[in-house]
Amino acid sequence: YPLFQLGGPQLRIFRPNFFMLAVRPGVPQPEDTVQFRVSMEMTKVDIKNYLEKIYNVPVAAVRTRIQYGANNKRNHKNQRVKKPDYKVAYVQLGQGQTFQFPNLFPDKEQDTETRSFDDFKNKYMEREKQRQKGDPRRGGVPDWFGL
Amino acid sequence: MAASRGRRLLWHGRCWFSQTESGVPPQPPDSLYPPIVASATAKSKAAKRRRLEHFNQRVHAAASIEEKLRLYGQLQRPKYMLYPQTFALNADRWYRSFTKTVFVPGLPPRAAAAAAKAPGAVAPEAAETPAGVAPEAAKAPEPGTAAPEAAKSPELAAAAAPCLDMGELRSLACDALLQESFYQNKKRPFLYRDQDHTPGPFLTQLVSTLAAFLCGRNPLLAASSLDLKPQVNYYWHHGEEVVVHGHRKGRVDPVRFQIDDNPHLQIRVPKQLPEIVPLESDLGDVPVIDHKPSKLPLFKKQYENKVYIGSKVADPCCYGHTQFHLIPDKLKREKFVRANLEDQIEVVYRANGIASLFAWTAAQAMYQGFWNEADVTRPFVSQAVVTDGKYFAFFCYQLNTLALTVETIQNNPRKNICWGTDSKPLYDVVEDGSVKGFNDEVLLQLVRFLLNRPKEL
Repeated sequence: YPLFQLGGPQLRIFRPNFFMLAVRPGVPQPEDTVQFRVSMEMTKVDIKNYLEKIYNVPVAAVRTRIQYGANNKRNHKNQRVKKPDYKVAYVQLGQGQTFQFPNLFPDKEQDTETRSFDDFKNKYMEREKQRQKGDPRRGGVPDWFGL
Repeated sequence: MAASRGRRLLWHGRCWFSQTESGVPPQPPDSLYPPIVASATAKSKAAKRRRLEHFNQRVHAAASIEEKLRLYGQLQRPKYMLYPQTFALNADRWYRSFTKTVFVPGLPPRAAAAAAKAPGAVAPEAAETPAGVAPEAAKAPEPGTAAPEAAKSPELAAAAAPCLDMGELRSLACDALLQESFYQNKKRPFLYRDQDHTPGPFLTQLVSTLAAFLCGRNPLLAASSLDLKPQVNYYWHHGEEVVVHGHRKGRVDPVRFQIDDNPHLQIRVPKQLPEIVPLESDLGDVPVIDHKPSKLPLFKKQYENKVYIGSKVADPCCYGHTQFHLIPDKLKREKFVRANLEDQIEVVYRANGIASLFAWTAAQAMYQGFWNEADVTRPFVSQAVVTDGKYFAFFCYQLNTLALTVETIQNNPRKNICWGTDSKPLYDVVEDGSVKGFNDEVLLQLVRFLLNRPKEL
């Protein structure tokens, strides 16, 4: 690659080695605030540029704090085990956008018929039998039979 | 209510049996036994209520206003510090919820029609025939009918004995501006001190010359007091929260706020400005924010609970007329534009207007003896101009209620009201010894603000 001079064409893209993890806030946050766990070396400006340039998210304000990981637990040798420190960033979105952390574990659809123990047993047996059967394209021939 | 929770510390050695307690059921005079009331020192809700009652009684029965203020702010606990000039996003919405204020865009028609009341009429420059304008009585007739037209233009106000010369006012303003920015040979401003370099002195000069010029029209200004960089402080409770850390963990506490403001200039007068709308009027909704104030972001500190309007209680000029605020370098327009936050520019002006005026009017009300248990019986009105040297925004505030604590806010339908405009430029640019693009409207509004006075004057 030719050496880069100021004002010249940018032929290489450098992706940062940072990672940002969006987390569910422990305490309720205002609607326009998103909470992230970021690398300890990131600054507020870094976070703003990261979100704006890579993800096109308009950022109005960023506030950060460092969460100290406790050092109270002890292992089998009675040595203190430290939980790692991490940096938390509170990002306020611009242009009136809001964000609500989604529910990642929604309740599964329950079957409407009566759920007696026998039904459960039958369903379980059916599922087991399905698993025992091999590839349907082999027409019932076991899979140890072949080349 | 501030010292309520600390009452229990003062019970030692005090013979409180001999004092009359409120909440005491009326005993028939021939009763042999003392009244049966809840304990005052137990760890129970009834005891807490009794201590609160006792504290309220003490404040009600305080001998002087100073004593009342001292008792009100006696107990110090960590409180949120509200800054009127803040960079926080959407701060004006949060501030409105903390102070129970309704924001009405635009100025009230009364302020626009003040020109009719005032003996100063503004004849437009184009139709300048001062002699031709028939002078009318100084108390202009039917301000009510004039109100709809007053909002339009100065024609209506073409009625008054000595009409205000717009040209003279403009020349005063331009003189002050040019003196500060062109004629005076100043060195380059120090880093981040731009506002103190030119707009600050310009504002001081402008206001003092205009106030002196308009003294003849407005006798209230002649009796007023102009403060330079005064302090305005107010302390209040609003809402409740549970204490999170510390030895008081788990207890339910009121949320305490303190505003410490330093307006650039302030005019205090001996007579109260007239009310704009009746005390119980409802002009809108107060935003309800159920997040903790620390999410704004707002931070807590514990220090003196001060209530101050700019002068002590004994000063005769105890009512407020107009405040002038200068936006600091941190919150300049260019910074917001560069950060793609154009909509927050107006938020800065509004938050400043609402917070500063609430603190000032509420402190004035406390100076008259009102507090959240003894709510105001008449509205307190003040005005403010927030500027960054070029752009001016005008605000009018009417304080209808001081009762913002959890107990007193429940049956209180009153809301405080703030009228405000967007920021408009006074001039476009100053170059080569002349001011280009001077905006008469803004100057006119400023003059109207200064001429505002009670009806009987």
